[in-house]
Amino acid sequence: MAASMTQSAGSNSAVSKTTVARLNQVSFSYDGGQTWALDNLTMEVHAGEHLCILGANGSGKSTLGSILSGATAPDRGQVELMGRVVCSDTSDQGRRIDTEAYRQARRSIGMVFQNPEDQIVTTVVQDDVAFGPENLGLPRQKMLSCVPAALRQVDLQTRMNDDPTRMSGGQQQRLALAGSLAMNPGMMVLDEPGAMLDAAGRQEIQSILCRLTAQGTAVVHITHLLEQARQADRVLVLDHGRIVASGRPDQILNSQDLPALVGEPDQNPLTQSSTSDTDAKTAVGNHASPMVKLSDVSYSFPDAGSKALSQVNLELAAGRTLAIIGRNGSGKSTLARLICALAAPDSGSIQVAGLPLAGPDRPKAKHLRRQNLKLLRQRVGYVMQYPEHQLFADTVAQDIAYGPHNLGYGPEQVQQRVDEAMKLLDISDLADRSPFDLSGGQRRLVAIAGVVACSPQLLVLDEATASLDPQACARIMRLLRVLHQRGVTIVMSTHADREALDLADQTLLLEHGETLDYGPTVEVVERYHQLLATDTAKKDAAGKETAEQETNQAQTDQKPPSLLARLDPRAKLVTFLLAMFTAFAISTPAQLVLALVVTVGLFAAARAPLRSIMNSVKGFLILMLLLALFNLLVTQTGRRLAAWGPFVLTTGGIWVAVLYACRFMLIIFLGALLVETTTPTQMTDACESLLSPLSRLGIHTNEIALVLSLALRFIPTLGREVQAIVEAQAARGGSIESGSLSQRLHAAIAITVPVFAGALRHADNLSRALDARCYEGSRQERTHYRLLRLGRMDILFIALMAFYLLALLLHPLF
Amino acid sequence: MSMPNSHSHTTTNKDTRFNDVHSTGAGGSGRWSTKRIAVYALFVALAMVLSFFSFPIFPAAPWLKYDPSGIVVLVCGFAFGPAAAAIISILGFVPHLFTNPFGALISMIVALALSVPAALVYRRMHSRKGAVIGIVSGAILGVIAAILCNVVITPFYAHMSMAKVVAMIVPILLPFNLMKFAIHGVVTFLIYKPISKLINK
Repeated sequence: MAASMTQSAGSNSAVSKTTVARLNQVSFSYDGGQTWALDNLTMEVHAGEHLCILGANGSGKSTLGSILSGATAPDRGQVELMGRVVCSDTSDQGRRIDTEAYRQARRSIGMVFQNPEDQIVTTVVQDDVAFGPENLGLPRQKMLSCVPAALRQVDLQTRMNDDPTRMSGGQQQRLALAGSLAMNPGMMVLDEPGAMLDAAGRQEIQSILCRLTAQGTAVVHITHLLEQARQADRVLVLDHGRIVASGRPDQILNSQDLPALVGEPDQNPLTQSSTSDTDAKTAVGNHASPMVKLSDVSYSFPDAGSKALSQVNLELAAGRTLAIIGRNGSGKSTLARLICALAAPDSGSIQVAGLPLAGPDRPKAKHLRRQNLKLLRQRVGYVMQYPEHQLFADTVAQDIAYGPHNLGYGPEQVQQRVDEAMKLLDISDLADRSPFDLSGGQRRLVAIAGVVACSPQLLVLDEATASLDPQACARIMRLLRVLHQRGVTIVMSTHADREALDLADQTLLLEHGETLDYGPTVEVVERYHQLLATDTAKKDAAGKETAEQETNQAQTDQKPPSLLARLDPRAKLVTFLLAMFTAFAISTPAQLVLALVVTVGLFAAARAPLRSIMNSVKGFLILMLLLALFNLLVTQTGRRLAAWGPFVLTTGGIWVAVLYACRFMLIIFLGALLVETTTPTQMTDACESLLSPLSRLGIHTNEIALVLSLALRFIPTLGREVQAIVEAQAARGGSIESGSLSQRLHAAIAITVPVFAGALRHADNLSRALDARCYEGSRQERTHYRLLRLGRMDILFIALMAFYLLALLLHPLF
Repeated sequence: MSMPNSHSHTTTNKDTRFNDVHSTGAGGSGRWSTKRIAVYALFVALAMVLSFFSFPIFPAAPWLKYDPSGIVVLVCGFAFGPAAAAIISILGFVPHLFTNPFGALISMIVALALSVPAALVYRRMHSRKGAVIGIVSGAILGVIAAILCNVVITPFYAHMSMAKVVAMIVPILLPFNLMKFAIHGVVTFLIYKPISKLINK
């Protein structure tokens, strides 16, 4: 069958078009020729076509994408990209790869990867889009038009000044597309761009891709999702490094053999095991107290105004399965964390596995609460989103043993539980391998085994199958079915409605943190479909209108930047830091008044939102009060005012307390004001410019500035990840705060290793993203989207601040 | 992951990823490879994030807090050499400049005193023994730097004479810092092997 399909590709109408990429008998090996990821592969990409490459995990499709994007060269065969022969089929290793031709070709090839977050390089949308054009050395005038144009192509024109790290995955992926489009590529290669998105996000990407080809950009879309291939002009199916089918989507996708080729799961085991479902339910569903009961539960994040969950009610009997569905950001993960006592609700009561976690029944005494929590960890298992990120041990077996070991089982019992969990997930053959050497799907199974090995009565899973290929998904579904038969209660959040239909007795539909529907799965899923359908219909119909409205609104919302925000960041950075450091020199009332006046003046010039600044410095103000109290009591000069036993209150004490508190306040408020009125991009631009004299000493100041800017951008990402890992390991009973010294050390390792592994994983993705955006350090002439220029206002500001600093420092002399 | 080892620090672009048969020159044409930039950036971000995860460990002085960022600079020094350790030690505390300028400077000095000597020793003695000697010597210098800086800075915050602060060294500053650097050292020693495997992958 495969042969006939390959032939049909030859009769395609695209023959006459020019090609943007041509591979001839290309082979690629990761292990020096023992096995071949790509095996003698020949293919072309035509200008302006939408080509979809389908294949299971391990079929070689990502390797092919990497070769097409010019990031890697094959071991054998000829590669031609954007009309240049970049890799020729000669035995002369020295001349085989033409790195200069590769470099030129890469400038016209865009690449978008799976993880949307790791492709963002800075904290302002338009600056992020400008990064690629800057690297290409485009003149600034041209950037000022191509950056907004690229954002318009992905419908983000109203978000120019937003912070991309706070956007949804779908929006981030559209931003990544815009960053690529701004470089005006002749070909775009996308490696599973929708794998980490929900259905709505995938749909957005899909419709943008269809528009692109209309403009003449060739699109190579790599995916394992059949649905995404339907809109392509041409489909290639890859299996074990060979093309096994090629042709129009309607020819390929209706073929009988295809599901096996792209790893669509075998349906039979699922339907077989589901027959005994009802028996299992009645066996365990003794109608005692419910396993999970939530009444009027609300929760909001400490730093956000709106509620993440409001007035959620649910009741789940032991042995039943509940699915939580809804779009990204609807509150599914928060609900899962509340059930596992990883967060406490603002109001309402929660009872899980017979333990009151929140509400009036919750014990007041600390030791009782701690005891409850310990019992909860034994009874409830928590599989976080992307649980493979929590793996840390040297071997798979050791990692799985972590939970049972923490629960206090003896070595034999631990071993028995580990063996059983591995058998349940069919991974016994991996026992002695390092978890870091496994594929993504295998790692997921190992992580889940680590939770299952604790034999929980209730298992809570947060999107357990997200971005897995169909085979691995099927394996997890099979596990949940077995656990269900054994009487385990299951709460699973998912955005795959099929999983809910297959497994859940009841389903909860969340939208913006509110219960939209709750009841039998079939009905709730129906409602979810309606929700998604009306949503897309609304978007399609009113798309143009709302976009215009948004533009108008954005224009009205955007106040002109304040005086302080318009200043050159270099002028601000230097003068503010000097003012902060010299605050410690303040020691007389006159100096203090002067400094306070200047600070108030600066706040006025910034029209600073006092509330948000107060919020950001709240923690420090408490510290300051404590310090003031301390100073009040240790200083015993001046007139005695009062005394309580050993504590003496004096006039000197009061003055010192006020002075030190004011110094502290000045510093904190000035720092907060600087951060508030300066974007991280401006800050790093200023650093780069101020440090540039050091480059004469051989210090790589440009690179260091980029490192700093990327680091600032990754803080929220890593912060969230550290938090998630700490929670996941806590749910497995690992705690740094209690237990013996060796237990605490073990817990510290179980957190630190995955945290470092995560940082290295992001770094790996980020370096690819930097390559895709043609970053070459100082080799090429980089241009700048933002101009730094000291204007008259800046000079005036510097003069005023210099005058203040001089007055402050010289005052004691007079 | 492939990263240059510490020896190639001044002669850049020796990354194995860019010298193998599959290299197209992507990422390796700058003075620093994109890989190096990305790894440094993530380590700086990690040091920043962990420096905010601080908690008291010494009941007698609850205002002195432990934060795990020292582990990041030690690991980075072992993996990528003294220059990398210096970069992470300084950049990792930049955000604190805007809330606690002197505290940030002290943190930088202490991190440098800890990580750079440790990285220098480990570069000479690339073994378990070298790692231990590196950590111990770094920790000793770190403790000394921390105490000296504290003596200088405390009068800025509290109305105390230098002599009073010096009197606090033995009962408070010394035990706290010994505890702090012991935790840094032990955790680094235990996690470095698995992490170095990931780095060299």
